[in-house]
Amino acid sequence: MNKYDVVVIGAGLGGLTVACQLAQANKKVLLVSSGAGTLLLASGCVDVLGFQPMDSREPIKNPLDKMATFLTENPNHPYTFTGQENMETGLNAFLQLVNRSSLNYQGSVHRNWLLPSGIGAIHPTCLAPLSLANGDLSKGGTMLLVGFKELRDFYPMLVSQNLNEQKLGVQADAVTIDAPAPIGGNMNVTPIELARAFEKADFRREVVKAIKNSKVIKSSGKGYDRFGFPSVLGLNRHAEVLADLEKQLGKTVFEISTLPPSVPGRRLFEGLRQTFLQLAKGRFLMGTKVVDGTIEKGRVTQIRIDTASELKTIKADHYVLATGGIFGGGLQTDLTGKIWEPIFGLPVVSNSDRHTWFADGFLEPQGQPVNQYGVKINAQMNPVDESNQPLSENLYLVGAIIANSDWTRGRAGEGVGLATAAAVIKQISG
Amino acid sequence: MTTQSNVDEVTLSIWDQVQYTADLCVKCNICTSFCTVANVTDLFPGPKFVGPQAQRFRNPHEISVDSSVDYCSGCGVCTLVCPHGVKVMEMNAKARYKLYKEKKWLPIRNRMMGRTDLVGALGSAFAPIANAVLSNGPIRQVVETVFDVHRHAAFPPFSFETFQGWCKKVHKKSKLVSDKRVVFFHGCSINYYEPYLGKAAIAVLEHNGYEVIVPEDQVCCGLPLLSNGEFDAARDKAHTNIDSLVKYAHQGYRIVGTSASCTLSLKSDYKHILDIDTADSELVARQTYDISEFLLELAEAGTLKTDFNPIEATFPYHSPCQLKTHNIGFPAIELMEMIPGVTIKHMQADCCGQAGTYGYKKEKYQIAMDVGKPLFDQILETGSKVAICDSETCRWHIGKATGAKMIHPVELLAQAYGLLNYGKTTKS
Ligand SMILES: Cc1cc2nc3c(=O)[nH]c(=O)nc-3n(C[C@H](O)[C@H](O)[C@H](O)COP(=O)(O)OP(=O)(O)OC[C@H]3O[C@@H](n4cnc5c(N)ncnc54)[C@H](O)[C@@H]3O)c2cc1C
Repeated sequence: MNKYDVVVIGAGLGGLTVACQLAQANKKVLLVSSGAGTLLLASGCVDVLGFQPMDSREPIKNPLDKMATFLTENPNHPYTFTGQENMETGLNAFLQLVNRSSLNYQGSVHRNWLLPSGIGAIHPTCLAPLSLANGDLSKGGTMLLVGFKELRDFYPMLVSQNLNEQKLGVQADAVTIDAPAPIGGNMNVTPIELARAFEKADFRREVVKAIKNSKVIKSSGKGYDRFGFPSVLGLNRHAEVLADLEKQLGKTVFEISTLPPSVPGRRLFEGLRQTFLQLAKGRFLMGTKVVDGTIEKGRVTQIRIDTASELKTIKADHYVLATGGIFGGGLQTDLTGKIWEPIFGLPVVSNSDRHTWFADGFLEPQGQPVNQYGVKINAQMNPVDESNQPLSENLYLVGAIIANSDWTRGRAGEGVGLATAAAVIKQISG
Repeated sequence: MTTQSNVDEVTLSIWDQVQYTADLCVKCNICTSFCTVANVTDLFPGPKFVGPQAQRFRNPHEISVDSSVDYCSGCGVCTLVCPHGVKVMEMNAKARYKLYKEKKWLPIRNRMMGRTDLVGALGSAFAPIANAVLSNGPIRQVVETVFDVHRHAAFPPFSFETFQGWCKKVHKKSKLVSDKRVVFFHGCSINYYEPYLGKAAIAVLEHNGYEVIVPEDQVCCGLPLLSNGEFDAARDKAHTNIDSLVKYAHQGYRIVGTSASCTLSLKSDYKHILDIDTADSELVARQTYDISEFLLELAEAGTLKTDFNPIEATFPYHSPCQLKTHNIGFPAIELMEMIPGVTIKHMQADCCGQAGTYGYKKEKYQIAMDVGKPLFDQILETGSKVAICDSETCRWHIGKATGAKMIHPVELLAQAYGLLNYGKTTKS
């Protein structure tokens, strides 16, 4: 008998949700991750499909309406292998999972929230924390966007002007205030630091005072329907912070995602990490790299992990590979144009001519070819070779390591992680 | 730990391999997001700046340009969360060493804090006087002014009888003799401050049929010297311990310890920070176990005794930074929950703030308190009078800040086994 039912490798959204759900289903799960995943950089929202065709500027209202055409144009996309059912199951399971903790996610696969981004563009997304969902642009009305002089990565004026120019039915004004003590004057402040300051009642009181005394409110005498802040409204006590600000301002309060590091991403990471630790009695090796794995006769027999003192062999019945793409560390590259999967040596669909990796424009709607590279799968989520033969029946892939899962194309982002997670759980739990 | 570098690893010493991981940094700031210190003070600009970024300016032949690295507490969360394999904490430890080396002088305070063994030996010998001094407000104020040791920092009382003294006098004569043997590495805290914990550990190991060897020539692990910038002195300690322990390691005996930081030194810091890379050090590292890691392995093999008396309670548990760097997960949780009635609530905190000797320093005490605040609040919210943690200075710091009675996981096991009276002098 193996020591574990399942070993999950990687602590991005994909790995964390699979691990939590399997632990919930009473499987003995070990989660091993060499670092924190891209959640810490992303908005904390789950994007399923935002634009189709990809160069369209019109965000999709209901992702499922456009799914068929998206998949006709992108036949190798992971959604083809998961199917629509897993997309729905995955999103619903995620909502159930995170809403057990103090997180409060809102939305469904049938509808995109249209959220203001950190530069005032439109970010279509299916699931968002309440604080971000409160910023949904389709509600219209007036909003005051508040920035802090100390937070140099968020310019409310840039957001408001870009929003107003797009004539979306919202009217946005902006104000930048000096942050109260203990942040005031610290021009090196991180979003996390600001989030921790917001957990103090005095700090919030001073912020509200500064807003109410600001010229834009005093001179116009205008009231606003909503108040928008950069996404720094508390970390562990976020719900309390949001409720208190709404009470003091008497209006809806929302957050707008900032540049990394992302506070909503951190909240989600902490929520899932804590849920997993509690369910799995602490079986989470954070900061531990999986060095290699062995596939024999179509089955993974073991992996080896790098502990403080030695390489340790771990055996399980099933293995889930959720190590992400190039950014997450799931794929490695070198200057000669080689791309490889470092743990099992799985074949990677790629182009060995480095010049073909990148498109001319940085923000090309068709994405960067290099982001399409990855490992091919079948409907069982097993890795396959060029001729679609499964390489291992007890190894399953989740998230960005899968070929053609580039999240920048059409903004099919964390939705891929959740859909593939649902498909893998079905395989393992039967 | 292996390093994920593209440079030719064969030709580089461990030291250089760590420095070269700076090239793996993509500036994503995930480490900054987790940094326990940068998020409470602007005296420390964060691991990305001070680590891989500043590393480019640290020419071995030139003077360090920035001294803010001294504010790194060494908690190591940066290295743990980095998805790209940058050894940030290790890089910072070396930069601090270079900084102190350039200054050519080291505050007496740092020299004192580095020598926990010397201070401990003196303190124990004169325990009643030393304890009176340490708990005397006006004297602590003088100590703060003269030595920059914060007057409110938590120092436990010295024990009059050292653990080694007890081992020689009592344990040696009465110990369990068995063909299953383990070696106990007690560290300075057990020797001079918490002998009762060492006794609890021995009681639990003997209860499970192990003969416990306590080598008399073991010394301080060297970590306090290391984190106070004295690498050469730390290396001396390391070599003494390796020489003491390797003969047992050769016989296949495991070396267990209750202090997550001492065992981490044996497992990893000797190699990755002090650059000691010999066959002996490798063997000692491989044979070293955190005591809960060791006991959980017994449990998994079905050989751990489970004759526990029930304890109906929920305990808050803080897993110290050093334990996280073992890469073994949190074995104490599963172990303690084997006791009928026990529920462990894992606190959501990356560091308590103390980080070894960091929180003792006058200029860092408040930072240590601010770092620990979310943890203290969580512990207070549970309403529990007892909280659990595997590292000594963390226990003292958390205990002082929250008023909770702090115990090591092995003390809970000893209680459930009904062994708390073992060796008689236990904490009440
Ligand atoms: C800057 C940025 C912003 C984004 N914004 C959004 C957004 O707003 N909305 C959205 O829906 N999507 C967004 N995405 C996309 C989304 O985050 C990713 O596509 C997807 O979530 C990847 O998740 P994952 O779980 O597959 O892997 P990752 O999140 O990349 O995690 C991989 C994990 O595997 C670990 N790992 C790697 N190798 C090893 C190894 N050898 N051993 C052990 N562990 C290992 C890593 O440490 C990491 O924890 C964004 C991506 C980026 C980079």
